[in-house]
Amino acid sequence: MAGGNEVNLNEAKTVVPLNTWILISNFKLAYNLLRRPDGTFNRHLAEFLDRKVPANAIPVDGVFSFDVVIDKATSLVSRVYCPVPVDEAQPGIVELERPLSTEVVPVIIFFHGGSFAHSSANSAIYDTLCRRFVGICDAVVVSVNYRRAPENRYPCAYDDGCAALKWVSSRPWLRSGKDCKVHMYLCGDSSGGNIVHNVAMRAVESDIVLLGIILLNPLFGGEGRTESETKLDGKYFVAVQDRDWYWRAFLPEGDDRNHPACNPFGPRGRSLEGLEFPKSLVVVAGLDLVQDWQLAYVEGLKKAGQDVKLLYLEQATIGFYLLPNNNYFYTVMDEIKQFVRSNCYLLKLQNSSNK
Amino acid sequence: MGPYNSDIPTGSSGSSSSDSSSCGRKGSDVDGFLAGAGYKVRSSDLRQVAQRLERLETFMINGPTDISQQLASETIHYNPSDLASWVDSLLSEVNHNQPLPVSSSDLSEFSSDFHCMEDLLPSPPFQQYSDLTDTWIDQTNPQPQQQQLTAAVAAAAAEEDSGIRLVHLLMTCAGSVQRGDVASAGSLIDDMQALLIQVNRSCGIGKVADYFIDALTRRLFSPPAVCADSILENEILYHHFYEACPYLKFAHFTANQAILEAFDGHDCVHVIDFNLMHGLQWPALIQALALRPGGPPFLRLTGIGPPSPDGRDSHREIGFKLAELARSVNVRFAFRGVAASRLDDVKPWMLKVGPTEVVAVNSIMQFHRLLSSEQSLETVLAWIRSLNPKIVTVVEQEANHNQAEFLDRFTEALYYYSTMFDSLESCTVQLEKTVAEMFIQREICNILCCEGPARVERHEPLVKWRERLGAAGFGPLHLGSNAFKQASMLLTLFSAEGYCVEENQGCLTLGWHSRPLIAASAWQAVPDTAITAAAAAPAPHPLPVPQSPLVVSN
Repeated sequence: MAGGNEVNLNEAKTVVPLNTWILISNFKLAYNLLRRPDGTFNRHLAEFLDRKVPANAIPVDGVFSFDVVIDKATSLVSRVYCPVPVDEAQPGIVELERPLSTEVVPVIIFFHGGSFAHSSANSAIYDTLCRRFVGICDAVVVSVNYRRAPENRYPCAYDDGCAALKWVSSRPWLRSGKDCKVHMYLCGDSSGGNIVHNVAMRAVESDIVLLGIILLNPLFGGEGRTESETKLDGKYFVAVQDRDWYWRAFLPEGDDRNHPACNPFGPRGRSLEGLEFPKSLVVVAGLDLVQDWQLAYVEGLKKAGQDVKLLYLEQATIGFYLLPNNNYFYTVMDEIKQFVRSNCYLLKLQNSSNK
Repeated sequence: MGPYNSDIPTGSSGSSSSDSSSCGRKGSDVDGFLAGAGYKVRSSDLRQVAQRLERLETFMINGPTDISQQLASETIHYNPSDLASWVDSLLSEVNHNQPLPVSSSDLSEFSSDFHCMEDLLPSPPFQQYSDLTDTWIDQTNPQPQQQQLTAAVAAAAAEEDSGIRLVHLLMTCAGSVQRGDVASAGSLIDDMQALLIQVNRSCGIGKVADYFIDALTRRLFSPPAVCADSILENEILYHHFYEACPYLKFAHFTANQAILEAFDGHDCVHVIDFNLMHGLQWPALIQALALRPGGPPFLRLTGIGPPSPDGRDSHREIGFKLAELARSVNVRFAFRGVAASRLDDVKPWMLKVGPTEVVAVNSIMQFHRLLSSEQSLETVLAWIRSLNPKIVTVVEQEANHNQAEFLDRFTEALYYYSTMFDSLESCTVQLEKTVAEMFIQREICNILCCEGPARVERHEPLVKWRERLGAAGFGPLHLGSNAFKQASMLLTLFSAEGYCVEENQGCLTLGWHSRPLIAASAWQAVPDTAITAAAAAPAPHPLPVPQSPLVVSN
């Protein structure tokens, strides 16, 4: 591995802008310091190094945010991001008394990435990303600060996701549209993408309606080694042995990567055929070494007759959506906007034709 | 023509919209996209930072296998926002490849007995920190009964509705007050009182609303004299606030840690405390100095505080007790009390700083009191600087309560104190909690009901203090990952889930559920020629302070 690394570093450099390379290399470096060989995690140093930003009830670029405790028992907090309506008399004060508007305002429940161990809802990179989603989709975004591994293994993150979903679905002030409902989407990147799938599964079983789910470079895996893992190992910021560490930290102790949480369509998975699974948008980066597992996920959904759109970005690496300095970023944001707003448009048509 | 893909624009002047706490307005100098991720890197430095990252990565791959663990556990990290410096510091660690010298004394080295002054400070046993595992303690989720859950959810939803309406009414009322519309404000207060009956006033939004309605009522209908504070009462309230929640303990602990490091290697040290109160901060420092390798220095403590109204010399009493403690642990100690009603009444000659002493100035929530006049703060900062202190420790409320417009102050205070009251819910000792709330209520009333010199609670956020201290000739002394870790561990031991320590460009904040409420920072005087350079650049490495003879000026 040592000898090939000179080449590896150079390859990543040719496909991303300089500041992206710095950002992701910095994360890689920091994350290497935090993972211990014995499976424990240097949480204090992780929290020290993570760049966080507070919520801001004063609108900045048309978005304001505030933190809410969803579950006191588990200290589950979420950060809510709202667009400022054009006719808002008192900016910064959420008109929580009445529904958002008679127009449909989608509510995107967001799960940040970090391989189940890193980052928080108030990490700067995710605060920035959620604000962008608000602007692009004209949506409310609820970013869930789920419990992380290794201190909290499967299924804590999923439990927190479900708690957040229930909370969002029961807020009168998140309702919108003439049908006065909460119009919910799930969205997540990396481990957040994995959480999205697993929470969506539970939603299906509990009759909570999701209008769609968005998975950005979702984290899936399995026991075998795929071609992409072998070919891309260590070349674009990510090494397979690191991926393995995070699964060991998240999955139940002693279990392997064929656990259905990690490998939903693997030997221990189940078919989604016949289930009312929400439509999905799955974004796969062509230089992400877990892409074969992500593509297998898409296949699994297709085989089950589910509505899934794959967006495959050939030269994209992990984290491309964090900085708006590349074309893939804009492509993905456009797709997400279409994905989310198309429902709103359809609902609007439905409602007006029902008059 | 570097190796990076130059077809892809780096977008150096993108907007960094969300970082409300950044001084991002330093100019188009800083890469805008990285700023949005919380990192300050000059555009002109990008290549260099990238090269260094690469070099570091190569070292780590080719170096000894435990180099990562060494960097993680032995190195002290500072100010991760300054990515260039952080990478450089790691590089120099890796290059030297030696463990750091053990820092002179660490509050974490405390053994479990520590003598406190009296029963004022019931010290919880400090465990040896090596016993603690490095895990973030999370509570497990208890599974409530399903029926109870549904009922609770319904009740909570109804309560939430009333709570939301209360907030709305509060804001509307504050708007009326700002406009001078007494009739409308009064009627809104009546509405709110009616609504308060429907909510639980003993906690949550009901409690907060209660206090804020009270403040609005006072502002409208009571004479300003109501705001006057009794010094003795204040001390009692302060003490209960100290016990009920960790904010002041965090302040003392963090400041002491920084002072300890600054005093390393010096034999003659002088701490100037801008608000002595009961001297709660100092037993821990005395203990730590007693335990430092090489032995304790001669410690002089000068405590500033208001004169006692009843004529007794309360400062002397406190000084005696501290002296007893110092004697019991063999620390040579001298105390002086300086009675002053206002900090700007203090003159540097009163502090009798000796020519060979190393000085630490400690200000816990005092600087903001000087802000009713810009001149006052400037004067005080100037004479602090004239003392040539090795370190100035500053702790301030992390809030913007000094805005001119009443409605802005009201809004900010509502959010801030809601969070603080929420955190107080976790306090289990009812008496401490109740009296602590009175302490907080005084602050609220001062912010909302007083104006002019009577309004002393003029809290300003870290961003502003950085500007002010920078302009007054001070440079930052960054608090590092060791202080962060110790503060975090303390919290885990003694306080409820929900408190969190965060690192903010070399400073540490303590907050509740990711809202910072109090910020601790450390500073040193920079040589005059370096001031303009420091003001222009992103936060540099701490600059060396020349050990010149002290000039004590009037």
